[in-house]
Amino acid sequence: MLNVEQLTKKLPDGRALLDGISFRVSRGEFVGVLGASGAGKSLTLRCILGLTRADGGTATLQANDGQTFELTTCKGRCQREARRRMGVIFQGFNLVKRLRVIDNVMIGRLAQIHPLRSWLYGFTDAEAAEALEALRRVKMEKYADRTTGSLSGGEMQRVAIARAVFQKPSLYLADEPIASLDPSNSLAIMKLLQPLAKETPVLGVFHQPEMTARFCTRVIAIKHGKIVYDGNPGLSHAQLEDIYGDELMQVLRPAPAALTPEDVSAVSPFSGRIDESTGGLLAKQTT
Amino acid sequence: MSSPTAYLHRRTGALLPRRLRKPLLAFFVLGTLIAVSARLCKVDLSEFFPGLLKGVEVLRFFFPPDWSSLQEMLVPALVTVLLAAVATPLGVVLSFFFGLAGARNLSPPWLRSTARTLIGVERALPEIIVLLLLVAALGVGPFPGVIALAIGSVGMLGKLFADAIEELDAKVLESVGSVGATRSQIIRFAVLPEVMPALLSNSIFRFEVNIRASVLLGAVGAGGIGFELQKAMALLEYERAMMAVLVTLLLVFGAERVSDFLRRRVLDGGKLA
Repeated sequence: MLNVEQLTKKLPDGRALLDGISFRVSRGEFVGVLGASGAGKSLTLRCILGLTRADGGTATLQANDGQTFELTTCKGRCQREARRRMGVIFQGFNLVKRLRVIDNVMIGRLAQIHPLRSWLYGFTDAEAAEALEALRRVKMEKYADRTTGSLSGGEMQRVAIARAVFQKPSLYLADEPIASLDPSNSLAIMKLLQPLAKETPVLGVFHQPEMTARFCTRVIAIKHGKIVYDGNPGLSHAQLEDIYGDELMQVLRPAPAALTPEDVSAVSPFSGRIDESTGGLLAKQTT
Repeated sequence: MSSPTAYLHRRTGALLPRRLRKPLLAFFVLGTLIAVSARLCKVDLSEFFPGLLKGVEVLRFFFPPDWSSLQEMLVPALVTVLLAAVATPLGVVLSFFFGLAGARNLSPPWLRSTARTLIGVERALPEIIVLLLLVAALGVGPFPGVIALAIGSVGMLGKLFADAIEELDAKVLESVGSVGATRSQIIRFAVLPEVMPALLSNSIFRFEVNIRASVLLGAVGAGGIGFELQKAMALLEYERAMMAVLVTLLLVFGAERVSDFLRRRVLDGGKLA
């Protein structure tokens, strides 16, 4: 269970990036966080993880083993203990590409075994079997011996989920887990996260309102560092417009195809030679 | 119609086209520097060519090489290789720790600048100078040679390792840290596997460099084939010296081929696996 109270983060000039964020995540919930770019979604997650230090407020994690962690203030050993209880999935997968898939899953347990044993790669057979089980859950057990760098994005994200599952956390945090995946992989990842949430709460940042509407049990929307919505995942068009503003159309439909050079030259008055004296930065108009 | 480049001249309105000014300036500055340096170093072409002829004449003394001395050269040659073979792993291990300490993403600023400064000092000192200092302390023999080569390796490899570690994706290190791993675990499971190809290929290259350096160090007291060469020259046994030169050539050439082969294996392995 996670309880965030009045979380604030300010820039040196005093501008607030997070302005009193408060919410709770309880057992059985799959909470999706929506918001325009720069609204403070990922920053909230980073503050909870302790990757960025919040200026004020608290984030309290009540772990399954009964321990309580004050996430915004704990450091060193306490922070490592807290982190081992949170399984994190990143947008860029962030796996160690030169290790095998199974090794990346094993990394999930590092905080739970003696450092010396981990240095000697002394994972037990039981742990290895469990890691394989985690891979089976994301349908990647066949890839256990492959080098992680040879996998596709969707496959890497599955491995990242397996790592988080193997970690046996009290809370899953997902920072835009499907933002760099194609639609079919995105769907597959959401379908993997949904059943996880039934056992362990998931707090995820997303850019796709249609995905959160379909899979999440609750949606939180952040705008300019404040929570502007917290409730039912199905948001109306008017609500989305309020959350995203000008970005709305980019969120609701795919971005238009990039302009080809032909398109550019058709509209550009600068068709002709490149002026070398400016290092080619400016096109020289022929007269 | 004006010529395609006419606007360049029109724009500058100067005697020289603008795009030629910098190259010409560089040419004159460099030319002056070279002329002055040649003067200071007493470069004299009128002495060079007669000297060259005399050199060719002296070269006659070196031939034919004294093949009978080949057998006596084998053990010193082995000593030269062993010198590098012992010094390189020692240097690699030392460099790895210096690399960790000198990497911004793993070490606090004070440790990083200390490590970087030490590496810089080591690189600035040529192996020969280190060896001469060590010979003064430890006496003549292969041992100071090993130490000198190991220290020399740190100067190069320490910097390369530190740079390789700094180029790692910060997000991957952060991700391994996000499971609660300690710094040593991050090194074991993220840093080490990711920099391993750079570590191996640079170390193999350094082994090749160390073989060459060990020949040179041999001549100033570390033993091995370099010492044989120096001895033969001092005793005016030029045919024997030629034999030492041939063995050295073979050694260095062989080391280069082996090193190339191994490095290609390491780098390809990284790509394919």
